[in-house]
Amino acid sequence: MAILREQLEADVLIVGAGPAGLSCALHLANLIKKHNASGAKPELSAENIYVLEKGREIGAHQLSGAIMNPKALAELVPDFEKSAPLDTPVTDSAALIFTKKSWYRTPITPPPFDNSGNYVISLSKMMKWLGGLVEAAGVNVFKEFGGAELIYEREGIGGVITEDKGLDKNGKPKDNYTPGYELRSKVTVLAEGPRGSLTKQLVAKKKLDNINPQSYGLGIKELWEVQPGKIKPGFVAHTLGWPLSTKMYGGGWIYGLSNNRVSIGLVVALEYADPRFDPHAAFQTWKTHPFLCELLDGGKMVRYGAKSLPYGGWYAMPRNYVDGGLIVGDSGSFLDSQRLKGVHLAMKSGMLAAETIFEALKEGDTSTKTLRLYQEKIEHSYIKDELWKVRNFHQSFHNGLFEGLVLSGVQEITGGRGLVDPMRTHEGHEAYTQIHGRTAPERFKGDGQLTFDRLTDVYHSGTRHEEDQPCHLKVHDLNICSTRCVEEYGNPCQYFCPAAVYEMVKEGNGVKLKINAANCVHCKTCDIADPYQIIDWTVPEGGGGPNYDGM
Amino acid sequence: MNILVVTEQRQGKWNNTSFETLVAAQQITSATSGTLSVVVIGKGVAGLAQEVAGENVAEVLLVEHDLLENYTPDGYCIALKQVIEAAKPDLVLFPHTYQVRDFAPKLAASLGKGMVGDCIGFRHEGGKLVFVRQMFQGRTVADVTFTGAAPWFASFQSGAFRADLLAAHPSRKAPVNAVSVGLKPEQIRTKPLELFKEAKSSVDLTQARLIVAIGRGIKAPENIAQAEALAKAMGAEIAASRPICDEGWLPMERQIGSSGQTVAPKLYMALGISGAIQHVVGMKGARTIVAVNKDQNAPIFEIADYGVVGDIFEVMPALTEELQKTKG
Repeated sequence: MAILREQLEADVLIVGAGPAGLSCALHLANLIKKHNASGAKPELSAENIYVLEKGREIGAHQLSGAIMNPKALAELVPDFEKSAPLDTPVTDSAALIFTKKSWYRTPITPPPFDNSGNYVISLSKMMKWLGGLVEAAGVNVFKEFGGAELIYEREGIGGVITEDKGLDKNGKPKDNYTPGYELRSKVTVLAEGPRGSLTKQLVAKKKLDNINPQSYGLGIKELWEVQPGKIKPGFVAHTLGWPLSTKMYGGGWIYGLSNNRVSIGLVVALEYADPRFDPHAAFQTWKTHPFLCELLDGGKMVRYGAKSLPYGGWYAMPRNYVDGGLIVGDSGSFLDSQRLKGVHLAMKSGMLAAETIFEALKEGDTSTKTLRLYQEKIEHSYIKDELWKVRNFHQSFHNGLFEGLVLSGVQEITGGRGLVDPMRTHEGHEAYTQIHGRTAPERFKGDGQLTFDRLTDVYHSGTRHEEDQPCHLKVHDLNICSTRCVEEYGNPCQYFCPAAVYEMVKEGNGVKLKINAANCVHCKTCDIADPYQIIDWTVPEGGGGPNYDGM
Repeated sequence: MNILVVTEQRQGKWNNTSFETLVAAQQITSATSGTLSVVVIGKGVAGLAQEVAGENVAEVLLVEHDLLENYTPDGYCIALKQVIEAAKPDLVLFPHTYQVRDFAPKLAASLGKGMVGDCIGFRHEGGKLVFVRQMFQGRTVADVTFTGAAPWFASFQSGAFRADLLAAHPSRKAPVNAVSVGLKPEQIRTKPLELFKEAKSSVDLTQARLIVAIGRGIKAPENIAQAEALAKAMGAEIAASRPICDEGWLPMERQIGSSGQTVAPKLYMALGISGAIQHVVGMKGARTIVAVNKDQNAPIFEIADYGVVGDIFEVMPALTEELQKTKG
């Protein structure tokens, strides 16, 4: 039986209250306010802008290091310094080379690691603040509602259906069953962050891919309270080398915040060869380095989180406009993979989308005819400048660190062109090599002081889901898990998931996949890194997921 | 506008939301200068009809039939359809109760009409009646109007109107008119059984003095009987860590931990539970913790007062047997 859904009509619907989505909403509301004040026609209303956010509140699912370049925020909120939660300005930026027992600081900090003028922030706090401005501007932000399905219309999209609430494990309605709403909008903005579940569908269906598929990294973070005097607020360091091999792309971060708090984390590109590589264990191992041991000694881990990020840059940017739809932020590949900076680009992309939408609403035409202006605006903004220079950066590390340094060095002096332009790339999961009967390594346990097992870390992410709901991680062929994947790749899901969601349990003489969906921190790694691409991450019941308050 | 309010009673007792809806109906009636009729439906409910006749309504329609003694969606729909076709109201209002949710949409559909459910208010604007209802779990409200011809159907949310604003009938006595309806037993497809209180075996583990909790170490659902035997011998409640309830081997209300219950019994026996922090936060307040686990490094031993490194399948039956012996 078809479900009759309640409908709501909007001018603009934004899926995701992150840097891109909220900047889009606020900028558009500001433009509308000015427009109406001038008496120009047609009159528009910020109240017809709606934002969906699957988290319990704005900021709950926001995770980043984070260092923010404030330039987009300065455009959006010119007097931001008065009220924004800018934790601390960067006072010193270092690049550290790690070997197993030792480390050294590069005498000159390479320009990509120089963060002068930037701020160390909590992205979660920053978004909570920005969300407050958005709501004050009259925009409706629907917290605890996720975008579950796209409504296709014309050659693009016409809105979103929110997730059904109150279904039990088997998909049967419970007492509190509420079917998802049908939100129809003139323009739908996908601001879902990396590997957005709707963006993924749209890009595949409308063949929006660029010449390169998107590449991803996984960032794993802990927030610590350390002994006074251990680190200066505003000291930021990036580490290269141990414990990652030179074949792997990634590195660590150490950011000093106010009040003796420090943000630490490790980013690893999801394109490694060993299917049993365990990013969470690598992060824990990284913390046993003398530099971190010393820093964290006597301290306490207060929060944990993990999130993927898009590395692909300019050549992996999907076509970001369709009839009635725009893609912004991490969903649209707006991240500088060399500097690992995405917040300001995400915000800027949201603002350019807002300007485009504003024109389209005035014209009364939201087809690609007007929305393609978004692409032009990107081309003429600093987004293009920044991403163009590093368009081949990530790709040049395909064969490891040393070749990467040489190639990216050449790119540096040729404005990003390098030896080959464009450099092509493959989907990250294609890099796995088969295990050929090698036995599985022992799992990382943690000492409970400095290092932790995954369940302990997940506990500190504050993750919570309604337990009695359909599994939001859809595995399309469980047979593959129990048969081919055991043989070929040793079930990498058990290793790449930083939240212990996937587990192979004994059944009879074999194994079967058990999904602990309630642990899921919404990082999307499984959707990205599964070798057979049979896992679909879908939105669980709204409000579920981590609580990154203060992260 | 002529309005018909369908009240709700069960076993001769009012559902008080009926009066809130009646208040809404009185207000709409005066806003639209219409008349208001009230339906009391059931069997042996004449007393209730007399009671509601004391309120400011034009008339009370008493709909009684043997087959309406117990609520059935078929019985109510067939009977009310006849009432509506005879009374020809413009607007039919219901209190938004579970029972109304069950039959009212069906009733509206049987007349080829839609229904606006769960309204929280109304406005009368320019001759048009606008209903207000919540969307997105109350984060926004929507105005809804009817298109098409009457009768229209709507229900009001509990608490949306104040029952104490009910206006009494000027003479305290509105006429009560019995309406006979035709209803045959074969038209009713559901068979009401005896009423029962919701039999949710809601164990309150927080009140348990002794708890036997099982974890993954139990391995298979058929082994749970052994743990239950031990619990019985001890006079304890059985509980579990998440994986067990996830598998559906025990109901979710027996889950201890961050996503289940938090308990502080006198004795907590953790059998085959590793002691992940998610579980420990739910039971660390226990006075005495006894842990049995094969893995000597299991974190549960860090908080256990007594620990047995061993096989629960040896410990459980042995302990049960000893306990039974002492009980003699």
